[in-house]
Amino acid sequence: MRRINAFSLTLKQQLAGAAIAAPALTVVTLLFVYPFLRSLQSSFRSQEGVWTLDNYSEALSIYGGDYLYTLWICGVSLLALIIITATIGGLLRLGVYPLLEFIFKIPLFVPFVVVGHAMRVFLAPHGTLNSALSITGMFNPDTLPSFAFSSLGLVAALVWKNLGIGLLLMLGAFRSVNESMLEAARGMGAGKLKLIWHFLVPMNKGSVGVMAVLTFTSMLGSFSIPAMIGNAGGSQMIMMDLYHQIVYQQNYGVANAIGVLTYIASLGAAIYYLKGVTKK
Amino acid sequence: MSKPLEVALLTAPMSERGAWFSTLRLTRRFTIYAISIFMIFGPLSSLLLWSVAEKWFWPNPFPTQWGFKYWQQAFEGKMLSSLGLSFGIAIVVSIICLVITVPLAYVIARNRIPLKHIVLLIFLLPQAFPQLPVFSNVMVLMYRWDLVGTLTGLILIHLVGALVFSLWTLVSVFQSIAEPLEEASYMLGGSRIYTFFHVVLPIALPGIIASTLLVFLYSLDEFTGSLLIGAPYHITMPVFMYNAAGGYEMQVASVTSVLLMIPGILLLFLLQKYMRSEYLAAFGRV
Repeated sequence: MRRINAFSLTLKQQLAGAAIAAPALTVVTLLFVYPFLRSLQSSFRSQEGVWTLDNYSEALSIYGGDYLYTLWICGVSLLALIIITATIGGLLRLGVYPLLEFIFKIPLFVPFVVVGHAMRVFLAPHGTLNSALSITGMFNPDTLPSFAFSSLGLVAALVWKNLGIGLLLMLGAFRSVNESMLEAARGMGAGKLKLIWHFLVPMNKGSVGVMAVLTFTSMLGSFSIPAMIGNAGGSQMIMMDLYHQIVYQQNYGVANAIGVLTYIASLGAAIYYLKGVTKK
Repeated sequence: MSKPLEVALLTAPMSERGAWFSTLRLTRRFTIYAISIFMIFGPLSSLLLWSVAEKWFWPNPFPTQWGFKYWQQAFEGKMLSSLGLSFGIAIVVSIICLVITVPLAYVIARNRIPLKHIVLLIFLLPQAFPQLPVFSNVMVLMYRWDLVGTLTGLILIHLVGALVFSLWTLVSVFQSIAEPLEEASYMLGGSRIYTFFHVVLPIALPGIIASTLLVFLYSLDEFTGSLLIGAPYHITMPVFMYNAAGGYEMQVASVTSVLLMIPGILLLFLLQKYMRSEYLAAFGRV
């Protein structure tokens, strides 16, 4: 069979390929790759144009705490997401729950901003969750805690939004597991939870890792959710600090230094891709 | 399940065991559904409630006065122009994406492009790194090119993310089409162009529809770029909502949220068969 690969392309084919790629490549290069490189460069320059590390020391001294806080929030969210999606993905793989998959696909189609606002309304001190709890009569409405403008609100919103994509990736992996393997484990007397955590998850370590890397990056870069939920004083998500530096301080050096710090934290996805390419 | 219970079940007579197991299963099933529905629909239903609450005093569990006052208000005010703007931009972005990425994704899927992995890496970057730090630098560039606050600028910034989204899903769509079909067409004398339009495209159509709808939704929901490049001259729906929520206009923000949510939910319901998991989960896989 005739195999076409990159090395046997004729000049005409190469030109045609390049022409087809040109418009999309131009847009992404000019409006993402170039500004991305500029942000790297600008983070090492003072406002007078001298090469310096001052931006980093300033960014870390003011926002170091927020940076760690952001990593912590994203880590906790990721952990919660993995536990929830593995459990649900496992249940869907092992049993028949017709509506469940559909229900958990919904977050994929709800915009980030809407998730932020919904969580705010749901978890606010006088929000719908506390109202619902007070109907039961078991709680005194005025002593119920507020989750909305706290770390818990952020975690809830980030996890909620990523439930859809997380479950899809998890389920795709689980469905590729050989049925006879599961039968054998069942025969040995493994219950559902044991099947999920001792068989499905370890067998799909790679796919769970991909899902973790992708969602961690998306949580880290999420700007609209912290913008909608805000904070009640104390630490806040690093993207909010970046926005503040640009819009109110117009200090691009520090803003870009923060940006580079977030690139470093989200390098996982890029490394994963390069690993996949070099393996081939 | 604890050990004694298991032992008890195993030693019980057959019929009793069956009853035990089925009640256990039913309760478990019921609990799983109840928790799931609460988790997903709890936050969403609060939006609906707030959008029809004219007055809602704490600690009443339900709105004190119901009505569509804020829906009317929303449709009379500036929101309608934001709604139109958002849909207009989303349609334009979807069409541009379709024209640009369908041929490109096909060429990549069939390895007919030089430096394929570098091209794909470039298209991975916007998905692999946070948008805000990069878009803030785009804003500086766009000020220089007089694009801030223009529709062109807004469409371009939407295109960055949309192209990436569209390309990755389409590459996996084209990769799922068997190559021998095309080879058969070449054998029978079909040219490359003829084969693409008469063999490949019809098979890929469901995938292309799915990808276009995802791009449409992406553009409709885009917030970061719209806030930096479009506002305050062109306010898209998400930015409008952000402003309304910032001003503590709970009802207006909730009405906007519900409106923003409708297209996605509608597409999910109507086009379930197109939304195959492998298209949605295509990211980062080569």
